[in-house]
Amino acid sequence: MPDCAELYFNVDHGYLEGLVRGCKASLLTQQDYLNLVQCENLEDLKIHLQTTDYGNFLADQTGPLTVSIIDTKMKKKLCREFEYFRNHSLEPLSTFFTYMTCSYMIDNVILLMNGALQKKPVKDILVKCHPLGSFMEMEAVNIAETASDLFNAILVETPLAPFFQDCMSENTLDELNIELLRNKLYKSYLEAFYTFCKNHGDVTAEIMCPILEFEADRRAFIITLNSFGTELTKDDRESLYPTCGKLYPEGLRLLAQVEDFEQMKRVADHYEVYKPLLDAVGDNNGGKTLEDVFFEHEVKMNVLAFNRQFHYGVFYAYIKLREQEMRNIVWIAECISQRHRTKINSYIPIL
Amino acid sequence: MGSLFRSESMCLAQLFLQAGTAYECLSALGERGLVQFRDLNQSVSSFQRKFVGEMKRCEELERILAYLVQEINKADIPLPEGETSPPAPPLKQVLEMQEQLQKLEVELREVTKNKEKLRKNLLELIEYTHMLRVTKTFVKRNVEFEPAYEEFSSLETESLIDYSCMQRLGAKLGFVSGLINQGKVEAFEKMLWRVCKGYTIVTYAELDEPLEDPETGEVIKWYVFLISFWGEQIGYKVKKICDCYHCHIYPYPNTAEERKEIQEGLNTRIQDLYTVLHKTEDYLRQVLCNAAETVYSRVIQVKKMKAIYHMLNMCSFDVTNKCLIAEVWCPEADLQELRRALEDGSRESGATIPSFMNTIPTKETPPTLIRTNKFTEGFQNIVDAYGVGSYREVNPALFTIITFPFLFAVMFGDFGHGFVMFLFALLLVLNENHPRLKQSQEILRMFFDGRYILLLMGLFSVYTGLIYNDCFSKSVNIFGSGWNVSAMYSSSHAAKEPKKLILWNNSVVRHNRVLQLDPSVPGVFQGPYPFGIDPIWNLATNRLTFLNSFKMKMSVILGIIHMTFGVTLGICNHLHFRKKFNIYLVSIPELLFMLCIFGYLIFMIIYKWLVYSAETSRVAPSILIEFINMFLFPASETVGLYPGQAPVQRLLLAITALSVPVLVLGKPLFLLWLHNGRGCFGVSRSGYTLVRKDSEEEVSLLGSQDIEEGSNHMEDRCREVTNEEFNFGEILMTQVIHSIEYCLGCISNTASYLRLWALSLAHAQLSDVLWAMLMRVGLRVDTTYGVLLLLPVMAFFAILTIFILLVMEGLSAFLHAIRLHWVEFQNKFYTGAGTKFVPFSFNLLSSKFNNDD
Repeated sequence: MPDCAELYFNVDHGYLEGLVRGCKASLLTQQDYLNLVQCENLEDLKIHLQTTDYGNFLADQTGPLTVSIIDTKMKKKLCREFEYFRNHSLEPLSTFFTYMTCSYMIDNVILLMNGALQKKPVKDILVKCHPLGSFMEMEAVNIAETASDLFNAILVETPLAPFFQDCMSENTLDELNIELLRNKLYKSYLEAFYTFCKNHGDVTAEIMCPILEFEADRRAFIITLNSFGTELTKDDRESLYPTCGKLYPEGLRLLAQVEDFEQMKRVADHYEVYKPLLDAVGDNNGGKTLEDVFFEHEVKMNVLAFNRQFHYGVFYAYIKLREQEMRNIVWIAECISQRHRTKINSYIPIL
Repeated sequence: MGSLFRSESMCLAQLFLQAGTAYECLSALGERGLVQFRDLNQSVSSFQRKFVGEMKRCEELERILAYLVQEINKADIPLPEGETSPPAPPLKQVLEMQEQLQKLEVELREVTKNKEKLRKNLLELIEYTHMLRVTKTFVKRNVEFEPAYEEFSSLETESLIDYSCMQRLGAKLGFVSGLINQGKVEAFEKMLWRVCKGYTIVTYAELDEPLEDPETGEVIKWYVFLISFWGEQIGYKVKKICDCYHCHIYPYPNTAEERKEIQEGLNTRIQDLYTVLHKTEDYLRQVLCNAAETVYSRVIQVKKMKAIYHMLNMCSFDVTNKCLIAEVWCPEADLQELRRALEDGSRESGATIPSFMNTIPTKETPPTLIRTNKFTEGFQNIVDAYGVGSYREVNPALFTIITFPFLFAVMFGDFGHGFVMFLFALLLVLNENHPRLKQSQEILRMFFDGRYILLLMGLFSVYTGLIYNDCFSKSVNIFGSGWNVSAMYSSSHAAKEPKKLILWNNSVVRHNRVLQLDPSVPGVFQGPYPFGIDPIWNLATNRLTFLNSFKMKMSVILGIIHMTFGVTLGICNHLHFRKKFNIYLVSIPELLFMLCIFGYLIFMIIYKWLVYSAETSRVAPSILIEFINMFLFPASETVGLYPGQAPVQRLLLAITALSVPVLVLGKPLFLLWLHNGRGCFGVSRSGYTLVRKDSEEEVSLLGSQDIEEGSNHMEDRCREVTNEEFNFGEILMTQVIHSIEYCLGCISNTASYLRLWALSLAHAQLSDVLWAMLMRVGLRVDTTYGVLLLLPVMAFFAILTIFILLVMEGLSAFLHAIRLHWVEFQNKFYTGAGTKFVPFSFNLLSSKFNNDD
């Protein structure tokens, strides 16, 4: 009965959806941002954040405040909320949550492996890992020397295991290989998540598929942009593109051949979604960066996800919006602490 | 008039607080709770205000105190709560206090850290001993019963017996042993197997007693494991994996002697640690006990200090930056007290220049303050729930004190039920100082807050119950019924009596199921029952018909009186606000409209009651028909209630019809006329906000408003008020809507009062049904079983009476009474558009520890 999913959605997930909508209402408003921007130092920022939903999250901080403390505390708060959602979720929403954590897990694994390469102690790097993506086997990652080792020994029982199909190789893990591994993992992760949402059907598919398509295309653009001037071959590059986006297949083939930003822009011209985005990117002196433009678009999509009811997209959107908010606060805090006020306004407001 | 009739008159005062004394002055004000501060820095965000540094200090102190309280609670030391609340600390003491607290915190943190370290050490040692104990059995088992590891067993046993021999062989056999969390065992073993490809042997056993985790302090089950492995590479990996799973690894003794040695060493160290730990704990407890004595007053003091700085943040500095200017609303009656408070504050701080105040004229609407006591508070709350009264308007709470319980009782009229309710309320009132009641929560709290309302409701229900002569649905015959049944028998009358009377004889009585008493037979009706309804009606089958007619008429009469009273209170409002034209153009037409239609209806009801007796009752005209005919002018003349009825009715109707256009057009036209320059009545036209001015002053003000209060920031708002555009269309529209609402409202509200009848009927019927279904059944059973049966029946009856009739019915009657007050009564005069006066008072700060905000 696919068409009456609305009828029994609330039986399993109604509580959580209500909760997440309530949480969304506590996102910082434009007024809050205006106030934050006016802060003179981080203590002011703390005082102002106390009046928002963040509350006393910095109250038991004795030493001087730094940006990284704020960042960690905010992440902890987000993590607490997410854990609550996750602990109260039922299938298939809990699988959905697992998929959401996978991207953070991938980042963490790569971070740890990079750290191991540079012979940094695990404890130092663990602090930098995103709490949403932490898992038990994480600390053992640096035992592995090759990708297949990594898979066989460490990650075979984690949710990341299925994404390893394409990247089993006996190459030793150097910096480039790790980066390739990350992108391959991401590619298969995005595709798997996309298939999951598609198979789920209903409103969830209607909401989540465009978001994930965008995510895939964004990765494709970023990979292309980052590969200019590296030794990555064009075939290799194409193999890293996630294939679940709107660009697939022609756009990706074109992107694989691109050699500079202008050419990339020409590829994007074929797509009505991406044309205005890439057009909005300014040149070096002033204007927005490509990343910011993408973030803005992402925020818009995530906010729109709240317009529909009875779907899982709200959870994804909420976490992403919170992340964006945290990025904004960190940005503002950085600007304040470094006395770099000219750029303080280039945060991305959440509509 | 009492202060309950109107809210207190307020004035806006400016306080000039010398910079040095501001804190003390505010402290004195906060203790007294006299004034409401106005925020003069609304445009300044919270962290840019003057006293943000002090606020931060307060927050720091609060943080330390919260930490102290948390530690004290953790140590299970009782926190004494002082009865009196200490005053805000003088500024000189604040620094001292802060120092003390900070020192205490540092000390406490140090000691706790040491304690934690010691405890962790101890726990680790305990774990180690456990591990040694358990692994000893592993070795034995490995030797004797491990067939699964056969290929290694020879090596294993050998190695255990003689480690040096293995070293001679050149192969490094390593051991890692430790403890692991119960939940992680399986994953741990799997990963070991995968990573080391089977070149390890893992043995583990569950520890029989759960131990505390040194890091988190949780008490959990542990597994002791022993891993034997070959080669350094694998050993490296094994250690990594152990780290990954947060195992607690302890060195593994290679020989039996070594093991014994370690064990003994451990035992003595554990003993030592225990003593040290005890000492530390004792010391910590002592420190905490000392802290606990003062922590309550400190918490209160810091709260007060924070509140003071919060208020100071609302003040603005004057030009010279030497004194703070605060604007406050203060009741005029309290001005003296306010002056005294400022003097006290100045004296306390020893300042040379005293702080002073002066009142400033304002055109803004002041907040509403109605002083209540514990008795009137509940009634005021009922009114405030609808809307806080506008400044100085008539406060319906005063009348609600009587009308609310009365209207409730009309619906809840039962002597017994009312008495039970009265007793319950009396219990609450008599025990109102009981601490358990004061701190009660939720529903009981609700009852407790409304205890005086309940008390009056119960009392009035007793009264109406006596009127209805209902006690648990039964009537009480106190004075003896006024009806005499035997007088109906023909035998009791002399033969000379007129024959047209229908009298009873034996055959009539025997053959009729239902007989009617005829009050016109002499001797049957001996005059009315002295108080309330005659108990004989309880037996009559036409009881309902009789009561319905009575209750319906009664509710209409009560309703119309209530509403008329509301309209008269409107006149009071207009008089007070000097808007006489409103009386002539609004209130009087309203009154005429109401009285000419519904007042006349009451007149007819009472007239019919008085004039028609039992003999003439058959020719009495129906009031309903008469009332309808009043509007329809029937062609054929009816009998009528009294001679000359038709012209009187025509006159009344004409007055009614005339009052409507006056009501609709009078006020707008008058205002238009005033606006066109002929304001000779000396009335203000801009509403309630100007009431405290004399009319001449106002006129001049209207002309020269721009000269006034040039630098004052509230100028803009003032101008908004005075500059109000005269918009005839809007006024007309408002008045038309009001008139239509009123005229239709008169009819629908009158009908609405019929709920009095409906609810009292429902209540009576419900209690009747309960009696018939339960008690009557219980009483009918014959005597042998009856006694046994009656007990549960009584209990059941009591429970149902309380829950259905008292609680449920009471609640519904309560709601309907509220509605009658809010809608039918208050919309005749009450605006309810004010804001409540919230004084800056330390009493409003909560004195609880666990309150975060």
